Amino acid sequence: MSRTSRRPATRTSAAIGQSRRSFLGRSALLAGGVALGPQLLTACGGDDEGADGGGSGSSDTLRISNWPLYIADGFNTSFEEASGLTVDYKENFQDNETWFAANKDALAAKQDIGADLVIPTNTMAARLISLGWLNEIDHANISNISNMRPDLLDGPWDPGAKYSLPYFSGFVGLAYNEAETGRPITSIDDMWDPAFKGRVTMLSDFQDGLRMVMMSQGNDPGEATVEMVQEAADLVAEQNDKGQIRRFTGNDYQDDLTSQNVIVAQVYSGDIVQLAADNPDLKFAVPDSGGTEFIDTMVIPYTTKNQAGAEEWMDFVYDRANYAKLVEAVQYIPVLSDMTDELEKIDPALAANPLVNPPQEVLDRVTTWDILPEDVEADMIAIYNEVTGGLTWPGWRRAAGDSGRGFPTR
Amino acid sequence: MAGVAASGRRQRAWVPYAMIAPGVLYLVVFFAIPIYTLFKTSLSVNSGSRFVPTLEFSWQWSNYTEAFSSYQEQIARSFWYALIATLIMIVMAYPLAYVIAFRAGRLRNIMLGLVVLPFFVTFLVRTIAWKTILADDGWVVEMLGTIGLLPPEDRLLSTPWAVIGGLVYNFLPFMVLPIYVSLEKIDPRLLEASRDLYSTPARTFGKVILPMSLPGVLAGSLLTFIPASGDFINAEYLGSTRTRMIGNVIQDEFLRVKDYPVAAALSFVLMAIIIVVVIGYTRVLGTEDLV
Repeated sequence: MSRTSRRPATRTSAAIGQSRRSFLGRSALLAGGVALGPQLLTACGGDDEGADGGGSGSSDTLRISNWPLYIADGFNTSFEEASGLTVDYKENFQDNETWFAANKDALAAKQDIGADLVIPTNTMAARLISLGWLNEIDHANISNISNMRPDLLDGPWDPGAKYSLPYFSGFVGLAYNEAETGRPITSIDDMWDPAFKGRVTMLSDFQDGLRMVMMSQGNDPGEATVEMVQEAADLVAEQNDKGQIRRFTGNDYQDDLTSQNVIVAQVYSGDIVQLAADNPDLKFAVPDSGGTEFIDTMVIPYTTKNQAGAEEWMDFVYDRANYAKLVEAVQYIPVLSDMTDELEKIDPALAANPLVNPPQEVLDRVTTWDILPEDVEADMIAIYNEVTGGLTWPGWRRAAGDSGRGFPTR
Repeated sequence: MAGVAASGRRQRAWVPYAMIAPGVLYLVVFFAIPIYTLFKTSLSVNSGSRFVPTLEFSWQWSNYTEAFSSYQEQIARSFWYALIATLIMIVMAYPLAYVIAFRAGRLRNIMLGLVVLPFFVTFLVRTIAWKTILADDGWVVEMLGTIGLLPPEDRLLSTPWAVIGGLVYNFLPFMVLPIYVSLEKIDPRLLEASRDLYSTPARTFGKVILPMSLPGVLAGSLLTFIPASGDFINAEYLGSTRTRMIGNVIQDEFLRVKDYPVAAALSFVLMAIIIVVVIGYTRVLGTEDLV
């Protein structure tokens, strides 16, 4: 499909406002159009167990599949020099669900997926762990693991970090244009201010979109039930019916924010670091009632051909000096503790930026999504999809008694 | 002697088959097999887990009723938008094609080039560019506001008008080119004859030019209506939840909800409706001269 997104020529595009999440928002959409293809092809050829994918994997090559614009210039070159390995680095991880849709058949059949190390978000990592598709990581080979933020070592998605090591994290919170709103935005209720009608966007991912709404309703997403999700989705649907919400976005809220079509938006913090550099009116806030922290993790699929090399790369990432370079390039939140000194060596402004190097009290206000049973998660996705898919506006809700698409009985 | 001739004829008999073989092979591999798998999927039930579905074929026709009843609004909206967009395109493209064919003179090739030029930029970027043009604070919205032509939302983006406008913009060349081709084929002597027989310019147009260019309009309508009704990019970027089209729903069902059978059924519903519409359309207007 030739209609794929523009690909930035250099990684410096990160510095001019094109973050990996904005990039992937666009490409994910298109990948959606293509997803049918692999699905059908694998459906046809699903039986040939012996077919061995790329076949380029070997012990002196390390194949990494990462998000676009999620690495520093020359990072892999220095790793190659340090390790003697050749890195085959691909920025072909566009979106968790799309990646999953494209690779699940191969992984289920234990066929090579062309990557020895992948960087999914922790919720996806949890799914992969529960499916038994990841190799354990030998912490003995990662001496720098002691640099990691201790709270991440025992995340609910992977207790003991046996199968996944964090790569970067970021906040899901609210961005607003203070010049336009005329006041700071601090709570979810602020999003529903009639003065902002039609100038608010929400994230279409159900966790990113609904979690902070659930917290504002006094529910603890850590113990999320389908009813709580429905309650939050109903509130969003009500506001959507009123025309309060302009759109549900992936990561493509940036255009609307910069052109001031939208003045309050649910966003990922890393994007706002970059946008705010150009537009000082843009502010980011973690809502009073709490926000979410997402964590992207390094995992080794059980089809890996270079376990040792993957672990070596993880160790290299966890070196503070190396990691500081990554932070400078990607501008998300470090998963290593006390990065202030290292960041100051590179750029004092970076170290002082609370969105890149957040103080502990902000970290305390955000939580990560608990890992849910598959059926529950799927139901929740379907519930929110009814709202974002425009299936719940007036006159459209299905007759009472029919639980509708939210709860497929199959 | 006769034997040689016969064998020559026999030899030649398989040549046409050999010549269409690559095309047939291509169709089988990239059309027939995928369509067959998609059809099977659309009649399957998921007996596995939600995220890693194991599809079992079971003549599950309820997938179709579910797809149709749950999403009739999006289906209807898709065709409604595509229809409006197609009509707008005919109105815009016909005069343009007419000028290029009859009045452009030496500029003809340049004008044709300009019609095609937008294709040098990807579909996606062109669509996103409209977000800048139609921005709430932009001059387009301001101007329309001044003359009181804004939709009730007081903006253009995230309204049906932006989506339909995006469809028109993106598919317009597919309307201009076929109409141009059919106009360009008209023998100028027919127009002279019409004038010699004291026909007014309007009658010449109505009796000679328009009927002879209808195949172009028909071809253009098909080339634009079909992709426009399945389009999801314009609705995604220029629209809102209230403007979602069937393409967006199929995408969501595949990627987010992972209900493959219903998504596949929706694809077939879309195809079926398009086929019915196309057959009806060609029945009325005829296809003999279809370019």
